[in-house]
This record gives sequence, structure tokens and C-alpha cells, in this order.
Amino acid sequence: MWRLKAVGHKARPQDVGLDEFKLKRREQEKALRQARRDQQLVSKRLLLHDDEDDGEGPMDTRAIPSREQVVELVRGLLIGGEKRVCQFRELRRALGHPEVQLIFIKLENSMRVVVGLLSGLDDQCRVEAGKCLHTLSHSPHPEVGMACLSATPYLLTYLSGQSARFTELCLYTLGNLCPENELIRKKLLAQGIIPSLAQCIQNHSGTLAVLEAAAFTLSQLLQAKDVEQIIPLVLASGLAPHLMAGLEPDAEYGIGAATECAWCLHYLSCSETCSSVLVNQGALPRCSSVLVTVGGAVAHGESLEGLELLIWPLLRCVGNLLAHGDVCQGEGVCVTDCRLLAALCVFAQGFLHTHPALARESLWALNNLTADSAVWCSAVLCSGLVPVLIQLMPFSQGINSMVLRTLGNVAHKGTAFCLQLAQAGLLPSLCATLKMAETEVVTLSLEVLYLLVASSPQVADEFVQLKGLPVLEMMLFNSEESLRLRASHIIDQLPQPVVQQT
Amino acid sequence: MLGQHHNLIPLLESDPGKTHINAVPALLSDTEPKHLSVEGDASKPPFTFRPQKIRLNKDHEFFEDGDVHRHMYLQDLATSATQDAQPAKVCEFCCHISGCSQRFDTLEGYEHHYSTLHRHVCATCRRCLPSARLLDIHIQEWHDSLFTVMAQKQSMYQCLVEGCNLKFSSSVQRKDHLIRTHSYPADFRFDKAKKNKRVKERSRVAERSSGMEVCEEGAGRPGTGGSEEPCEVMDVSQTSSSVADVSQTPGSGSERGHVSAPSEAPTASSQKPRYTYRVPQSICFGQGSVRGFRGGRRKK
Repeated sequence: MWRLKAVGHKARPQDVGLDEFKLKRREQEKALRQARRDQQLVSKRLLLHDDEDDGEGPMDTRAIPSREQVVELVRGLLIGGEKRVCQFRELRRALGHPEVQLIFIKLENSMRVVVGLLSGLDDQCRVEAGKCLHTLSHSPHPEVGMACLSATPYLLTYLSGQSARFTELCLYTLGNLCPENELIRKKLLAQGIIPSLAQCIQNHSGTLAVLEAAAFTLSQLLQAKDVEQIIPLVLASGLAPHLMAGLEPDAEYGIGAATECAWCLHYLSCSETCSSVLVNQGALPRCSSVLVTVGGAVAHGESLEGLELLIWPLLRCVGNLLAHGDVCQGEGVCVTDCRLLAALCVFAQGFLHTHPALARESLWALNNLTADSAVWCSAVLCSGLVPVLIQLMPFSQGINSMVLRTLGNVAHKGTAFCLQLAQAGLLPSLCATLKMAETEVVTLSLEVLYLLVASSPQVADEFVQLKGLPVLEMMLFNSEESLRLRASHIIDQLPQPVVQQT
Repeated sequence: MLGQHHNLIPLLESDPGKTHINAVPALLSDTEPKHLSVEGDASKPPFTFRPQKIRLNKDHEFFEDGDVHRHMYLQDLATSATQDAQPAKVCEFCCHISGCSQRFDTLEGYEHHYSTLHRHVCATCRRCLPSARLLDIHIQEWHDSLFTVMAQKQSMYQCLVEGCNLKFSSSVQRKDHLIRTHSYPADFRFDKAKKNKRVKERSRVAERSSGMEVCEEGAGRPGTGGSEEPCEVMDVSQTSSSVADVSQTPGSGSERGHVSAPSEAPTASSQKPRYTYRVPQSICFGQGSVRGFRGGRRKK
């Protein structure tokens, strides 16, 4: 149903074998993980232009131009005429090489020429200059990004222009510059990037490609360490309602725009100051509704590729906004649709074997939904979701712990809830999780078990009949005192089994 | 894939009007949480779970996988789900008996381990028997002085085979019966006879006893020649010395494979209180508890 419309999505190069590709990918993934741990996870997007669609990326095999050749290319831009477009294209190709980028910015006047053409009257030149700048913005060298600063006032101005394609280009260029460093961000903020983004989205409200680009740019700003200074500006600009409106996947365009908007909302919802505003603007029911729609698609096995990129940030929004402050008050502000429960379970089941972390986050949202809420706990029970959750209990990496917390939330509500949990078959599963290796899992299992057997003699009896007592007694010999204490306490609550002499 | 969510689809496709949270028949929560006011509970229960909404910072470790995936997409590194798949890990099982800590991939593996090594363990001598019945017989024949007395007058040694209700007046006769009638091997591991008291081993036992603080009531019944038995690892120190005994003890032909064991039934019984040593099936004393021995372990 929805294609993932990725910007500049590169296919695997033909001459690279599958294993080599996979290996390279794993290395890159490892590098990204480390970058995240170092709090330096930064990415840029590169738009591929029409004349680059023949598969030749910037890393083509032609010889890297020398300094002189670059000087020539720049000079060629000033001449004008029909050849100018060719000159631009040559220059753009050359600028695809990081070494050439460094050469370029160190040349006297080179940037000034390009910026001059960017701001000139010739609209075709503007576009070509923009493309060159875009290529530069993608540079791995920080000094190149700094050199592009002289172009930003123009790029920002053009955001309120009419040409969608050109606007998109400018947006991605700005988006690539944002994460470069604090100085650039400060300048961009001073130059009014936030209100420009809001205006841009409004002007191009029908064009999802522009929304995607604008939301991407905003997401780059919101990942910065100095995000708390940016947040008030974002809130004041009225961007949030646009983002929320943009969450709906589009049958034709795909989920690209929705994905970018969702990531922005995730970053915003992580901020305490922002959360109240988002909640009051109805972010919870909105995100929840999109999750339900997407959940339906996943349940029907419709194209899963790339959907997780949309689901992930939405889950986080819902999870964090639910955890924010007090019980949400007011009309249309809380989650009220029970189908969200089903969607969360679908994600937990459906992504278990492809993206277990997503399954875990889904269950986290479920925990936050059910914690201290008798209505949501009741809903879990009467929607028949307990067996679904039980099936997830064998899985580690935080999945079974989160399931146990959720079930603990339900059991905590009291007798009626515990009875239904027992009826749904929870006790035998607890007997299994009590034997697992992870201490956290065993501890939570004991906690939930205690709630169950303490709630009524009926449940306690059932546990004994299931031969649960030996499992607990075995726990008395565990090396962890906290586990021994809990086990012994539960044993004290249990009726003594009738001793069968076999 | 389609069948996976079949029970959730009807709910997902319900009429939105019917899935409003207010339409859910809400159960009544307890006004007084029962688990906090359990009777006869003077001390505060050691349970700490409280429902809590968990809030996560955007840089939290919990979010790592998703963020990495997002950035791989941005950097055009995204590929199809099949290439990307990192299946969820099934939680390992772990034997919780202190000191054991063996790990298992499956519940069956764990249960098998537990049944073999921890379930039917004699409290007195730590031997593992494979079934409750054999454990019962073991305790009766080895640690029950009443049995010893009665065995002098009547046939008390049960055939080990289920359903064969024959009894014999000595373990030798039973063993013979097992070999002849039931084709058991002569060295069946779970049919070791308790030996009569021998003078020279008494001192050895005393020596061993001092090394075995845990077994006060009946200083470890010596193991048997079958040191291959995994359960008897803890008895190996006795076993090896016992094995040495066998070679020195003449006339053990008819009882080959049986280790001469000092019978300290009288000594032991003076220490033992008068109740059955059959450890209830539900309790077991695992190997771990034996490892806390201070005092030298002899050669393994």
C-alpha cells in the first residue's frame, strides 16, 4: 500500500558482492552505534539530481580534478551563456570528491561566485548554484559546512518561494548544515530558520515532498545537544500542529513525510517543557490513530519494508507523552481508542524476529498505558490480549521484562484482575519464567506471582495444583538473597499441598 | 505472517464507536490492596513492584537500535527487512540452585538437568536417584534403622522394577533376581548395597566426617564404585578412598562393585532424630550446598 519514498535511495552497486555489501553494512552499523554512544550521531541526506540518475554517483571513477582545473571551472561560471549549465554540472561532479571540496573553499572568491549566482536574477543559475551548495553541504569536512554559511540567508529566503523542487533542495541543504556545529545552528536560528520552516510548510501545504524535507531539517535541529534553546522557538512558531497533521501516510506519496514528522515529534516529546503543549494539542490521540491504521496494515501482512521507520518514533511519542506528568485532562487529549492495544500487540508480535527492539518499545508503550489505570487494565483483559502477551514471555533483551511489568500493572489492580489473569493461563508461564537466567525476569516473575496468589485463595490453590511449589522451593537455594526472601514469602501464603504417596 | 495476528485483526477492524475506552466493562479494583495487608504478616513484605510509567530520554540506551536504524536509512544504508533481520533472542534458563548456575537453551534441557541432579536427592548422603521410588527405597534401605531391624526377620528388599512386587531377604538376593529375571546388569548404578560395619573403615569415616561439616547426621554414606555417576561428584572424595578399600577387602566377590562401607548405623542413629529421611519431593539439596565444605577434599 505505501511505498517508502526514500530520497536518493541508492541501490547496491552492481560490482559489489552480497557478502561484501553485508559486511560493509555491518561495519557502518557498528560505527553508527559507537557514534551514538559518543553522542555524535549525525547524518546527512544527499539528493540525487536527474542528471545523476544514470547510476553514476559522485564517487565516479574519473580522475579527481586538480586545483587548477577547479579554478578553471569556477572561472567558467562567470562567463555565462549556454555553456554555463555544463560548467555547473562539471563543477558539481568535481565537488562530489571531499578533497575537491576542501580545495574549492580555500580558493579565493570561489564561494562568493557561487553564492552570487545563487542570489542572482537568472533562475536556472540559482538552481544550479543551489545544487552545488547542496553537494557541499553533504561534505564530511566541518570547514566546508562553515564555508557554506554565507549562502544561508538566501537559502532561507527561498524557503518562502513558490518552486517546490527548489525549495526542497534548499531545505535539504540547510538540513545537512544544521548538525555541523553549534555556531552554524546559532546563526541559522538568528536568521530565523524556525519561522521560515513553519511558513514554508504552510505555503507548500499540498506538497508532501516539501513537508518531508522541512521536517527532516527540523529533526536535524532537534537532535542537537542545545535543543532546549530551540524548543521554545519551535513551540512558538506553531510547527507542532503541522507536524501532527503530517503524520498520515499517503497512498500515493508513501510514508516519507509522515516518517520525518514523526521523528520530530519524538524529539519534541522527549523534552519535558514540550510535552504538555503536545499533549494539549492532541498529540496522543493523533499518534495513536496513525498507529492503529499502520497496525492494521501490519496485521494484514502488507508491505512491511520501511514501515518500522514510521512506527518507531510514533511509539516513542505515545510512550513518553503517556509518562508525562499527571493524568491528562480535557477533551480529545487522552488516548481513548482500545484498538491501540491491538496495534501495540501486533507490532510486538510482528517485529519480534526482524526488529526485536521495536517489539520491546511497543511493549513499553503498553506498560505506560496500563500503569495505574484500571480501565486500560480491564481493556487488556477483555480484549483477550493476555494470551498474546504470554507468548512473548520466552524472549529476552527486555521483551519479557516489559511483558511482566505490564501484567504486573494488571495484577496490581486487585482480585478481579488477578482471577482473570489466572484464567487466561498466566500461572504456568510464570513457572517457566521463574527458571530463567536473567535476574530481573525472575524478580518480576516473583513479584507478579505474589500479587496473584495473595489476591485470592483460588489462585493460590491453582498455583499449588500446577506444582508451582517445588519451583519456589528451589528458589530458596538461590544465591541472591532478594530472590530467596521473595520466594519464601510467597511460600508462606500458599496452602500446603496434599502429600501424595506414590 | 497473516495467521500470526489473526486474533488481533477483528479488534483492529472494529467499529471505532465500539472501541472507545469508556465502552470497556471496567473491572473494579480493590479498594485495599490485598497484597499489602496479608494476614499474619508482621514484617513488611519484601516486594517492591509498583506500576510505573517509564519516561525515557532521547539519548537512552533503550532507543539505540531504533536510532541506528533511522540513521542507516538517512545515510541510504537501509536495505530490505530480510537482510536486516536480527531475530529476538530466547531467554536462557538457569539452574537456580546456589553454586550450580548451569544454563540451558530450552526449558526441557533445564527440567532434565534438574530432574537428574537436584530432584530426588537424599538429604542424608546427597545421592541423586532418578525417581521418587528409588529414592524411597534408598532411604529405607540405607538410612532407616527400623528397616535394618526388620530385614533381619523378614524379606524387606523390594525388587527395583516397578510392578514386580517381590521382596527379598538380602540385597544380594535382590540383585540376583534383577539380573536373572529382569536382565539387569550386574553393575546397575542404583542398586548399591549398604555394607556392614567394618572396623578399619570406621576411622576412615570419622576422618571423612570431619571434612564434611554439612553431613552431621549421617556422615556421608560412602559413594560407590560408580564414580561416573554425575550426582556423586560430591562423593568422589569418599569414593576414591572407598575404591581403594574395595581392592583391599577380600571376599567381596559376590558383591563385586559394591563398596565396603562402614556401617555406622548405630553411630548415625544416635545422632539422627527418629523420622524418615526421605526428603520430600519438593525439597532438594543440590550439589551447590555441598560445595561449601571446608576441610580437605581428597583426590578426585
